[in-house]
Amino acid sequence: MNDDYLWDKSGEPDPEIVRLERLLGEFRHKHQPLQTAVARNWYRYAAAVTLVIAAGAWWLLPGEPRVSWDVASVQGAPRVGTNAIGKTGKLSAGEYLETDANAVAKLEVGKIGEVTVDPNSRLTLVKSRGNEHRLSLQRGVIHAFIWAPPRQFFVDTPSAVAVDLGCQYTLSVDDSGDGLLTVETGWVAFEARGRESFIPAGAACATTRAMGPGVPYYLDSTEEFRDAIRTGNMRSASALARPRDAMTLWHMLSRVPQAEREAIYTQMAAIAPPPNGVTREGVLALQQPMMDQWWDSLGLDSANWWRKWKSDWRQ
Amino acid sequence: MQEEISHDDGLVSAARDGNRTAFGRLYEKYARMVHGILLSRVPRTEVDDLLQDVFLLAMRRLPSLREAGAFGSWLAMIARNRATDFHRSSQVLMELREDALTQPALRPEALAILETIQRLPEAYRETLVLRLVEGMTGPEIAERTGLTPQSVRVNLHRGMKQLRENL
Repeated sequence: MNDDYLWDKSGEPDPEIVRLERLLGEFRHKHQPLQTAVARNWYRYAAAVTLVIAAGAWWLLPGEPRVSWDVASVQGAPRVGTNAIGKTGKLSAGEYLETDANAVAKLEVGKIGEVTVDPNSRLTLVKSRGNEHRLSLQRGVIHAFIWAPPRQFFVDTPSAVAVDLGCQYTLSVDDSGDGLLTVETGWVAFEARGRESFIPAGAACATTRAMGPGVPYYLDSTEEFRDAIRTGNMRSASALARPRDAMTLWHMLSRVPQAEREAIYTQMAAIAPPPNGVTREGVLALQQPMMDQWWDSLGLDSANWWRKWKSDWRQ
Repeated sequence: MQEEISHDDGLVSAARDGNRTAFGRLYEKYARMVHGILLSRVPRTEVDDLLQDVFLLAMRRLPSLREAGAFGSWLAMIARNRATDFHRSSQVLMELREDALTQPALRPEALAILETIQRLPEAYRETLVLRLVEGMTGPEIAERTGLTPQSVRVNLHRGMKQLRENL
C-alpha cells in the first residue's frame, strides 16, 4: 500500500485508492440546489399516508401543513397583520410583517437562513414550500443571511426580484418602489423584465421602477465612477473604470445603445483585454458565447457556477 | 496549521459578535468536513438536510463555545451528535424510505463501496469518507476535526486495510 498517497496525496498514486476516489467522488459535498426537509421527505409522508389508508383510517389523513416562519422581536413591537407579536410569533404565507420607526424583527427562513427586518419596513411572506422561499418587500430594509445553496430564496420588490445565489446581503426599497441591493458575501442576481444583474460580494446595484436593475458596481470604486453610474452616464463611467470595474463594464455592454457600445468595448478591452476567440464584432453584436468567455476571463471567483444557476432559475 | 487556527480564532470571535460574513466563511471552510462526517453515519439522502441543521445549531450555540480555536472539533461533535439524534428519531421511517425514488441513478459499485465504508468502525469510516469522498488530505482532516495527525494517519491506514479486505 502506498501510504504517502493515502496520507497527503503525495508520492506514487495507489491505483486502488485512485479508483475509489473516482467512484466515491460522486457523493462529495457540492453546491447544488437543495430542498427543504418537507420537500425532501415527500416519500415519507406518502408512505405514511399509504399505511393509514391501508388501515382504513382515512379520516386521519393529514391536511397540507400550513407553512409559517418564526418571527422574533429584536426591538420594539413588530406586527404580523394588525397584531403586535410580543417576543415571538409566526408569519404565514399571505400575511405581512410590519415594523414601525422603533421596531426590528428577525425572521427564520425555514431552515435555510434568517432575515433581519429594519424599522419602517413592510414585507409579505409570499411562499415557502419545497425549494422556493419567497418574500415581497414593499418598503424598508432587510438583511438576509442565507446558508442554503443558491436559488432557494427570492425577494420580490416593486422593480426587480432578488435571487439569492448563496450569500448575505442588504436590500432596501423606498416609498417610490426603487431599491438598492448591497452584497456582503456570495452573489445575488437582480432580475426584472429581461434585465439581469449579477452582483458579487463587495458590490451594490440599484433598481428603479422605470428601468429595472441597473449595472452593479464595487463599493470601493471611485466616487466619480459611482456618480456616473447613478446618473446613467455610462460612457463617462467607463472612462473612469479600474481593472476591477470590468465587472461593471461587462454589464454595461448589453444595456447601452449600439452607438455607445463601441466606446464601452474600447474601455473594457483596455482594462481587461478580451481572451482569444472574443472579437470586437462578436461583442458588439452581444453574441452570448463571446460575452460568457469574456466574463470567464475576468477572474471572478464564482464565474463558473453563476451561469448554471442563472439558467436553472429561468426554467 | 497554526496560521489556520489563528485565522479561525478571528472568524469565530467575529461570528460570535454577530458578524455574518465571518460565519459565512466558516461555513465555506467546514461544509466539506461536516458533509463527510454525516455521510459516514446517515443515509446519503439525509445528508444535505442535516448539514443545514448542523450549521444552524452551530450558529445558535456559538456564544457557548469557550475556545474559538476549537471550532472545528466542536463543529465535528455537533455533526456526530446530530447524526446520532437522527438515528434515534427515525427508526421507523428509515424502513419506509426508497432511495431509488428520490435520487438520480448512481453507480451500483460506488453505492456498494460507500455502504461497505459505512459498516466499518466509526473512527475508520469517518476518516475514510473525508479522505476518499470529500477529497481532504490527512493533514487537512486533522486540522479541521481537531484530531491529532497521528490518529488520522492510523485511522486511514487501518481503515483502508479493512476496506480492502471487505471489498
